[in-house]
Amino acid sequence: MTMNLRNWALSLLLTSVVTTLIANLIGNHVSIAESIPGVLSLSAIAFVGIALGKLIPLKIPPIVYVVLTGMVVASPISPIAQPIIDSTAKISFMAPITIVGTLAGIGLDFKSFISQSWKMVIVAILVFTGTFLIQATFAEIFLNVTNAFD
Amino acid sequence: MESTAQPQQSIWGNLKENYRLYIAAFIIVTIAEFIGVKTFHVGSALIVLYPMLFAIVISVLLGGDILRFFTKKEAKKASSLVLVVITPFMAKVGVLAGANLPELVNVGPALAFQELGHVGTILLALPVALLLGIKKEAIGATSSTCRDKDYGLICHLYGSDSPEARGALSIYIIGFLIGTVYIGFLASFVASINFFHPLALAMACGIGSGVMMAAASGTLAAIYPDYADQIIMLAGASDMLAAIVGIYFTLFISLPITKKLYYFLEPKLSRGNSRHGNRTKLKGDA
Repeated sequence: MTMNLRNWALSLLLTSVVTTLIANLIGNHVSIAESIPGVLSLSAIAFVGIALGKLIPLKIPPIVYVVLTGMVVASPISPIAQPIIDSTAKISFMAPITIVGTLAGIGLDFKSFISQSWKMVIVAILVFTGTFLIQATFAEIFLNVTNAFD
Repeated sequence: MESTAQPQQSIWGNLKENYRLYIAAFIIVTIAEFIGVKTFHVGSALIVLYPMLFAIVISVLLGGDILRFFTKKEAKKASSLVLVVITPFMAKVGVLAGANLPELVNVGPALAFQELGHVGTILLALPVALLLGIKKEAIGATSSTCRDKDYGLICHLYGSDSPEARGALSIYIIGFLIGTVYIGFLASFVASINFFHPLALAMACGIGSGVMMAAASGTLAAIYPDYADQIIMLAGASDMLAAIVGIYFTLFISLPITKKLYYFLEPKLSRGNSRHGNRTKLKGDA
C-alpha cells in the first residue's frame, strides 16, 4: 500500500467510519451516539493492525495483522476485552461492509469484465463452487468425526 | 518500505482530490441502506440480498464505463480504498474470534484439514478449462481462488505478462464482479438443501477473499439466526487461515499439482495441439 498512515486514517474516517455509523443507524436502528465507541474500537484495531503490517517485514497480507490484533484485544488474556466486545457488539456485522461494495463497484473496470470471455466465467464458477462445496464436505466430515460441537 | 518511494500526499491534497468520491460513496451507502435487506424464496432456497449488493450495482452503474459519473482517477482511487475500508470489518472478525477463542481452538484442526479441499477444485475445473480450449491460462486460473495474494504470487513466479498471470487475473476480476453475488446465492442454495451443518457451511466460506467471505457468511447468518455469531466467527477464522497459509498452500501444494495435471491432460484434452502459440518462457529462463 502506497499510503502513509496519516492519509490512511483520514481515508478511513471519511469512508468507513462515517458510513458505518449511518449504516448502523438505518439498517440496524442503533443511534449514532451509541455506535461511536464500537466504530472507534474497530477503527483503532484496524489502524494498529495496519501499522504492525508496515513495521513487521514479513510477506503476509496486512489484513492478517488486523484480524490478529482484534483477536488478541478481545481474547481472555486482554484487560480491555470486555469493553471491546460490548462496544463492537452494537455494530452489526454487515454495517461496515456496504462501503466496501460501494468502492469496489466504483473501481471496477466494467468494460474489461464484459470483454472477458465466457469461458473464463465458466471456469470461475467451477473454481468458486468447487472450493465452497469441497470445503463444506471436508468440514462436515471433520465435525462428524471429532464431534467438535458436542 | 514502498510508502517512502511515493510522494507523500498531504491531508488537504487527499481531501481536494477525493472529496467527490467520499461524498458520492456516502450517498450510495445511505441509499443502499434505505433499500435494506431483501429476502425472497426461489423454490426452497432463501435468497438474501443485502445493502452491500445494492451498493455494488449502484456504483457500477455510476462508474467510468456506464454513466461516467466518476473519472478514471477516482475509479482507481476507489479500488485502492477497498483495501482500507475492509479493515474495520476484519477487525470485527478478529474481535469475534478472540471472544470465542476456546471454541476456535476446538475447530482449528478442522479448518486446517478443509484447506486441502482446494485440490478437489483443481480436479474439477482444470479438465473443463482444457476442454474449453484454454491453454496455460488454465494453470493460473485453477490453481487457487485467485485472490489478491494468489495473483501476486503467480505474477511473481511467471511474470505479469505471462498466460498464467492472465488466467489468474481473469478469475480475479470475475470473482470481484460476480463472485461476491454468486457465492451469496450459492450459500443460500446449499443451505436450502439442508445437507450440511450450518457451521460446516460457515467454515466453507473462507475462500481467501474478505468480501466473498462476508457475502457468504452474511447470507448464512441471516438464514440461521441462532448460529449467527458462530457462523461469522468460523467463516472469519477459516478466511484468516486461508489468507495466512493459503499462499504457501498455493505455492507448495496446489500449483505443483495443477502443473502436473496440466501437462498430463493437455495433450489428451486440448483440440489442435498446433495452437500452442502462446507459450512463453518462464521468468528467469535464458
